[in-house]
Amino acid sequence: MNSPSAKPRIHLASGLSIGYGESLARIDSDGGGIVLEGGTHYLLARNGRGKTTLLKTLAGVLRPLDGGYECEGRCQYLSEDLCFDRELPAKAIFKSLLKKSRCKDALELAETIELDVEKPYGKLSTGNKRKVALLVAEFSVSDQSLDVLLLDEPFTGLDAFSREAFQERWSQCQDGVLRLVSCHPDFDSMEVGSSVLISDGVIKHIPGGGSDEKAQSWGELKPQLN
Amino acid sequence: MIQRKVWIIALLCTFLLPGVLPYLTPYESNPALIEPARAQAAWVCLWVVTAAWLFFQAARFGDDASRSGLGAYFLSSGVSGLSQMMQIWLACLTFLLPLVAITLGVCFVGAMPSDAGQAQMWVATNLQYAALFLLVVTPLMMVAVSIGSRFGSTIGYLIPLCMSIYGMYGVGYLAMMTEVQSNLLLDWLYVVSPHYHLADLTPRLVFKQGSMLSSEFLQLVVYFAGIKIVLAMFASLTFQPRAAT
Repeated sequence: MNSPSAKPRIHLASGLSIGYGESLARIDSDGGGIVLEGGTHYLLARNGRGKTTLLKTLAGVLRPLDGGYECEGRCQYLSEDLCFDRELPAKAIFKSLLKKSRCKDALELAETIELDVEKPYGKLSTGNKRKVALLVAEFSVSDQSLDVLLLDEPFTGLDAFSREAFQERWSQCQDGVLRLVSCHPDFDSMEVGSSVLISDGVIKHIPGGGSDEKAQSWGELKPQLN
Repeated sequence: MIQRKVWIIALLCTFLLPGVLPYLTPYESNPALIEPARAQAAWVCLWVVTAAWLFFQAARFGDDASRSGLGAYFLSSGVSGLSQMMQIWLACLTFLLPLVAITLGVCFVGAMPSDAGQAQMWVATNLQYAALFLLVVTPLMMVAVSIGSRFGSTIGYLIPLCMSIYGMYGVGYLAMMTEVQSNLLLDWLYVVSPHYHLADLTPRLVFKQGSMLSSEFLQLVVYFAGIKIVLAMFASLTFQPRAAT
């Protein structure tokens, strides 16, 4: 078991460049890079600016074009288009991918967010399919390891009630899990806390949401994106 | 697996057709031929089911793994591409091995010679056949998984199918061509081709030629194990756990 003080951590070194063949986004070379520690961090950018590419790079699915990064912890990358076997109900998916004790918790949360766990996955709506993937990621985290969840647009298709249920869980959880969540907030007053922005091909970190820091709202961050 | 119904058809093909097909022949002229015919039908059905269904399943599993995002998910959580490919391949074996067991069961129960000496030889031949069949088919399933993951299920299915048909029948035509005309390229092609027809022991069963000599059988095992290693290396290099970007 890890010591209580150990935390998952992502370090994006200065000079890191990501993309497919040509650079899509990079970290400025004149600085110490970006360090993210346990807690929830939002990855915000306009379409096509490299959110998914950054997450895939951190997950080890893509190679960086230049520079380096460190991901300390057990990564799980949930792509936007992640889907499971069409014939299996959510309950069977949870049973096959989660530990027994965690499976029970997942089923409880599934009931709260009104996910029909008996229905075959292929017959679920888009939002409900996202719930299955999110629940798998949420309850795959282990007490024995440092976990890094890289979630690519997990709220797409999710109703406001379910999204708030997950966000509330993340804010209350003291599990030390590092969640890097790419999303497009849909109301200006949404509090974002710590965020990683990709704008004009540059990746930057805006801390916030700590005990001594004021969380920023999406409305304040939006003008910084280009 | 339970929800998908095609496996029932595959199961019925390997279990029922060997019982039914021999009676569609003019067996009345020589009823003693029914039992060898049953064994022949059992093995032919197994080859057909494997080529027509299992290769496609393997290719589809490979395709699904990369296309669904699950391959990338497992890759990110530390499950290597090779490990993923082996797990998918082993999942395919859970379909294949019961079918082989059923075929052996049909041959042992429904076509066993009454003479004790012949029966012993019959068991040995069938076990040799099963071993060679698995040595031929399992690496092709691995190829189906890996090519399916990279190029999609259709290509992933067609390549091992064509390889098996070529190895079973095409090589025979190639042998005839090399006898008719001397051509270095054809000779070379014949040598490097996979001679899967050597694993087909159906004529031995039908004509009750007895089991292979141990030395002869071991030679074939080594030959097919060599092909298996080459194909496994190719498959591990080809497998792509994430969708092409």
